[in-house]
Amino acid sequence: MRPWLLLAPALAVLAVLLLWPLVRVFLFSLQDYGLREITTGEPNWIGLENFREILATPELWTVVLPNTVGFAVLSVVGTVAFGTAVAVLLASLGTFWRTVTSSAIMAAWAMPAVTGTYVWVWIFDADRGVFNDVLMSLGLLDDPTNWFTNRWTFYAIVLLNVIHHGFPFVAVTVLAGLLGVPKEMLEAAEMDGAGSFRRFFSIVVPQLRQVFAVVIILSTIWDFKVFAQVYLMPGGAGSNRSVLNLGVWSYVESFGQNRYGFGSAIAVLLTVLLLVITAVYVRTVLAEEER
Amino acid sequence: MTRAMRRPVAAATGALLLAATTAACGGGGGGDSEGDGTLSVWIMQGTNPDAEDFFADVSTAFEEETGATLDVEFVEWGDAHDRFVTSIAGGTTPDVAETGTTWTPEFADAGALAPLDEYVDAAGVSDDLVEGLVDAGTYDEQLYGMPWYAGVRSLVYNTELFEQAGVEPPTTWAEIEDAAAALKKEFPDKIAVAVPGDAEFTVYPWVWGAGGEVATLDGDTWTSGLDSPEAQEGIGFWTGLATEGGYSSAGATTWRETDVLDSFAAGDVGMAVMGSWTPGAIVEANADMEGKFAAVPIPGQDGGIAPSVLGGSHLSVFETADDKDLAWTFVEMMTTGEFAQQWAEQSGYFPGQVSLLDETLESTDPLVAPFAEQFVDGGASVPAAPTYGSVQAKATTSTMMQSILSGDSDVAGASTAAAEEMTGLLNGSE
Repeated sequence: MRPWLLLAPALAVLAVLLLWPLVRVFLFSLQDYGLREITTGEPNWIGLENFREILATPELWTVVLPNTVGFAVLSVVGTVAFGTAVAVLLASLGTFWRTVTSSAIMAAWAMPAVTGTYVWVWIFDADRGVFNDVLMSLGLLDDPTNWFTNRWTFYAIVLLNVIHHGFPFVAVTVLAGLLGVPKEMLEAAEMDGAGSFRRFFSIVVPQLRQVFAVVIILSTIWDFKVFAQVYLMPGGAGSNRSVLNLGVWSYVESFGQNRYGFGSAIAVLLTVLLLVITAVYVRTVLAEEER
Repeated sequence: MTRAMRRPVAAATGALLLAATTAACGGGGGGDSEGDGTLSVWIMQGTNPDAEDFFADVSTAFEEETGATLDVEFVEWGDAHDRFVTSIAGGTTPDVAETGTTWTPEFADAGALAPLDEYVDAAGVSDDLVEGLVDAGTYDEQLYGMPWYAGVRSLVYNTELFEQAGVEPPTTWAEIEDAAAALKKEFPDKIAVAVPGDAEFTVYPWVWGAGGEVATLDGDTWTSGLDSPEAQEGIGFWTGLATEGGYSSAGATTWRETDVLDSFAAGDVGMAVMGSWTPGAIVEANADMEGKFAAVPIPGQDGGIAPSVLGGSHLSVFETADDKDLAWTFVEMMTTGEFAQQWAEQSGYFPGQVSLLDETLESTDPLVAPFAEQFVDGGASVPAAPTYGSVQAKATTSTMMQSILSGDSDVAGASTAAAEEMTGLLNGSE
């Protein structure tokens, strides 16, 4: 009884702040809830109709989900790989250079997503962007190209943006883990003749399993929900249908059209999907642990 | 915002929202005038740089006439729609508010606005209001938005480039094409005519100019006319300037109106469809442009004036206003006569009362007269459907433009798809 009593205040706060909104969202998802329902305050139950409509939208399966999942996979892999590489670099630096380098990467982290996105848009701008300028002055490109109209180049730019913004978190977290790896184990392995790659993958990586679990789960959740980085790109707000992802699509389809019930249903599905991914991942990590 | 911070921040935002909602409930609708002689008003920020002084004068005049005090709150355009929706939900709407022309039918449909026809008739101004704004404020054959002020888009051109290329401002579509060709020949590195892909209001004049319709209402059913032969001809001409003539630029495929303005201000654009409120911004962005550009009404296919969307605001009275007569007194004071004139002069927009425009029409300023002509003779409204916001949210027209300009689709295919989607959205069936 005692532990529950101690936890009660925290649980009460969580219930009010997190659980109740979640319940409300679920209740909205079962209604056709628009401006009229808001005004009158009367519920308008339609059962699972919203969910049926979502799953029956061809665009979801042909464009939205492939974009979202494909992008999430690439950006999680990219962010974690690059972040880890930077962490290894940081670990091998002296105090002075480590401070300098980590300050530099903190700047990327501290930059608001909106600002960062505009910088990338500016770099790849068709008429005045640095990228086209360089390509044209090198003679690699004859006429300015609009990189935002093509699905692949569009997402290549988003990928750069998201990895640039996301890697510092991974780097800092992994660095903390790296510094905790016992020096004795590494020295022993070196004595046994293990090269640096072998030492990294056979000793460091297994030691950091928990850390990687955290950064991968968090990155997956974040990269699934990417919104501003796509919405603010030219054509990303819905006028280029081939680049819609789950975040932008749900915004355009629901809040843009005052269909709050429909939007809530999308939110419920996304929450369930992310919970499943997280659960599966945590289970695999725990299972490996026990082995 | 840092990545690791996101979740706590989200939670904190939730807490704030919750606190705000609770506070709003506890307040019991503080925005209402409960017979205490106060009229609460929301006005959008940024239209008139001297808004504070202007409303100080209005307050004095209003108090003299009615004995009631005026409580004006300025609202950011960006947050305004959300604030209206939340306040409609909580029953805490102001008594009177400035509503963007495309929002008026939406809020009227939600039952939040009071009809104004009786008041307008009693005031005797029904025949003196700008038609495009009346259309935009009419829902279900009743007027919910009193025309206040608006701007209009016309064809703005760079006089310096025109002179050097030896072309005259165009008055037909054929002349637009000739002018573009001459500009391109003289200035191969400039954009002869900007055809932006993400600016729906620059598309409709060409649809209307060829005799097409964006959408029409028959009984209760909307039908989009974007796929009619006339509309396709207009869209084909406008996009053809880019895809066939090469008079636009690759970047313009994803341009919004703000991007057009930036490039025009930099002196890189020969002509473009731009608003009557932009000349100030152009000179502000680049002082060298002063006196180097002018406007003409958008030509119809074979001459005349093609209709163009009026962008502006209504004043609307909310159902929550206890004293609607008092609210109307304020609306009338603002939208007709002296104050309407003064607001228009200070903000650089046109008033919604036709008789106030007579003076403006006689102006010889190359950046006033053509816009005024377009405003009175070629002002139009987008479909005044409460669901038009959905069409905008879904970017139906921009999707069509972008797919044509990028070469993913042809005019016939893209306009057919857009018409089908628009019809569905307008009728609320999607």
